[in-house]
Amino acid sequence: MIRPMLEADLPRVLEIERASFALPWSEGMLRDDLARSDRVWRVAESGGRVVAFGGIMVVSSEAHVMDIAVECDHRREGHARELLVGLMADAVARGAARMTLEVRESNAEALALYASCGFDVAGRRIGYYPETGEDALVLWSRPLVTQAGAVAAARAGDDLVLAIETSCDETAASVMRGGREELASVVASQIDFHARFGGVVPEIASRKHTEAVVAVVAEALGKAGVGFGDLHAIAVTQGPGLVGALVVGLAYAKGLALATGLPLVGVNHLEGHIYAARLLDGDLEPPLVALLVSGGHTLLVHVPGWGRYELLGRTLDDAAGEAFDKVAKLLGLGYPGGPVISRLADSGDPAAIAFPRPMLRSGNLDVSLSGLKTAVIQYVEAERAAGRELRVPDIAASFQAAVVDVQVAKTLRAATGHRVKAVVLAGGVAANPALREGLRAALAAEGIALSVPPFGLCTDNASMIAAAAHDHLAAGRVLGLSADAVPNLRLGAEPQISE
Amino acid sequence: MTLEFSTSDPDATGRAGALLGPLLVPGDVVALAGDLGAGKTRLVKGVAHGLGVDGPVTSPTFNLLVVHPGTLPLYHFDLYRLEHEAELEDIGFYETIEGDGASFVEWGDRFPASLPADRLLVVVHRAGDQERRFELVPSGRRAGDLAAAWLAAVREDGAPR
Repeated sequence: MIRPMLEADLPRVLEIERASFALPWSEGMLRDDLARSDRVWRVAESGGRVVAFGGIMVVSSEAHVMDIAVECDHRREGHARELLVGLMADAVARGAARMTLEVRESNAEALALYASCGFDVAGRRIGYYPETGEDALVLWSRPLVTQAGAVAAARAGDDLVLAIETSCDETAASVMRGGREELASVVASQIDFHARFGGVVPEIASRKHTEAVVAVVAEALGKAGVGFGDLHAIAVTQGPGLVGALVVGLAYAKGLALATGLPLVGVNHLEGHIYAARLLDGDLEPPLVALLVSGGHTLLVHVPGWGRYELLGRTLDDAAGEAFDKVAKLLGLGYPGGPVISRLADSGDPAAIAFPRPMLRSGNLDVSLSGLKTAVIQYVEAERAAGRELRVPDIAASFQAAVVDVQVAKTLRAATGHRVKAVVLAGGVAANPALREGLRAALAAEGIALSVPPFGLCTDNASMIAAAAHDHLAAGRVLGLSADAVPNLRLGAEPQISE
Repeated sequence: MTLEFSTSDPDATGRAGALLGPLLVPGDVVALAGDLGAGKTRLVKGVAHGLGVDGPVTSPTFNLLVVHPGTLPLYHFDLYRLEHEAELEDIGFYETIEGDGASFVEWGDRFPASLPADRLLVVVHRAGDQERRFELVPSGRRAGDLAAAWLAAVREDGAPR
């Protein structure tokens, strides 16, 4: 809880101040400051005790952060961010347009906090800290009025967010209210560009995104019946993905954020896939385990609370969707491989061929699919060499059974090990009926519910990005305009700030 | 002399890759050819290990390019999904291979004309269930030196020939 600082808080505040800084504020300085009308001081309480505090000075349209300190035992609990959110609202109430502060260049924790509150590095003060001679970085926020307004709207469940996704093949945009009500969702591959824009859209990656992103965003806004002026924030996928593809979405989103003055929210693509489940089921609540299986990703994640992630296991080589595609190609079937194999498997015998279940008993939650793919190749070659006709439905069914067995076993172990009552299955491979039914049955036996978003939300889309962005916004997590695309972005990674 | 070596299993393939890692310099381009399941990704995993890459190296088929920060940036391409040479431009292929790291290009024989003049082609042959034969085809002086140094390192390590 955040509240104004009182004189009675001073002993506790000084205790935290002295533990935090080499040259702390004195009691007299703080006492004088509290009385001044151009200053705002706030404290954060946890369990009825003050654990953090911060203060700003407002001079005309600028709010200067003078001090923020968190008690050692209560760091990484979000108190500093909550203080900043509160102080930003105070600054707006006193007519400030932007916020600025100096931070020690070596203070990585503070820099990560400010980077995730929308600050950019604007300059450097050489030798600013007399005790060490270290430089200070000068940080400036983005426009405070829109940022504070967006955070307040998100907390009221009424934020209107435009989200853009360009992490790999799909160019997508979505408009969402309150993180749950989808007003529009547009995916480029579903639009007839040739008919509408008179151009042919290339198949892959960044050039396609460049040509499609403006039209896709316009289409989404049009469908939702809103203009830029109605929005609270612009959200975009920051990673992981193909760098050349990510930068297109990020550059466009930054341009929109700059032109409109709206906050920019960065979302992890993988996190988006997990949030897709909440769009299907608004009551879904962590703790939960998510199995994310797609063409490019195969991972198991423990989600103890929304926005918090613990990676439990992942593929060590091929993603599940990729394994389906490559086996389909080997068998001379069409693309994408998942639906074809799944359909053929219906008429085959899953026990016909004993393909390996790699890492089924490895003791950890990682999976490996490359060895299974190679086993299928070797089986097919041996059959061909022996002059035998391939029983394609049996191969498809046996291969699919091997993939499903391993995924189900690992997911079940993750879910029971973390004692969750809900599992989310997400990503394009979630469309596979054998995987869904296998998981559902195994989890039901343990009293665990399975949540599978509809197919359009499992494949890449921007609504899942908007859904995650709502939570970021409510937490006060936004990006500065110097934010970069991060092709290797990990779940739960803090944003980096650069000069 | 044929430039080739063999490995007895995937672990040995990884070790051979790890020996190549420290020999790489910025601008090196290694193209990998071989059927599905030949062990191209396994070899690059070893290279990444040899470059001190922290974190998992998985197949880049879907992502097309995955960047691994190591003692030298490792650019791991996979051209399997590409249908036209023009798409190389879209994924930043040319600017990346001329950059500050070493590039490994799975299915690098797909668009041979797009590869730089100086590059090492590694053709992976399946010689058995587990055994693999690696044929090195260098073009250009640097690639020739790299192939010779790698082969010497593999032979010194005692991997079966």
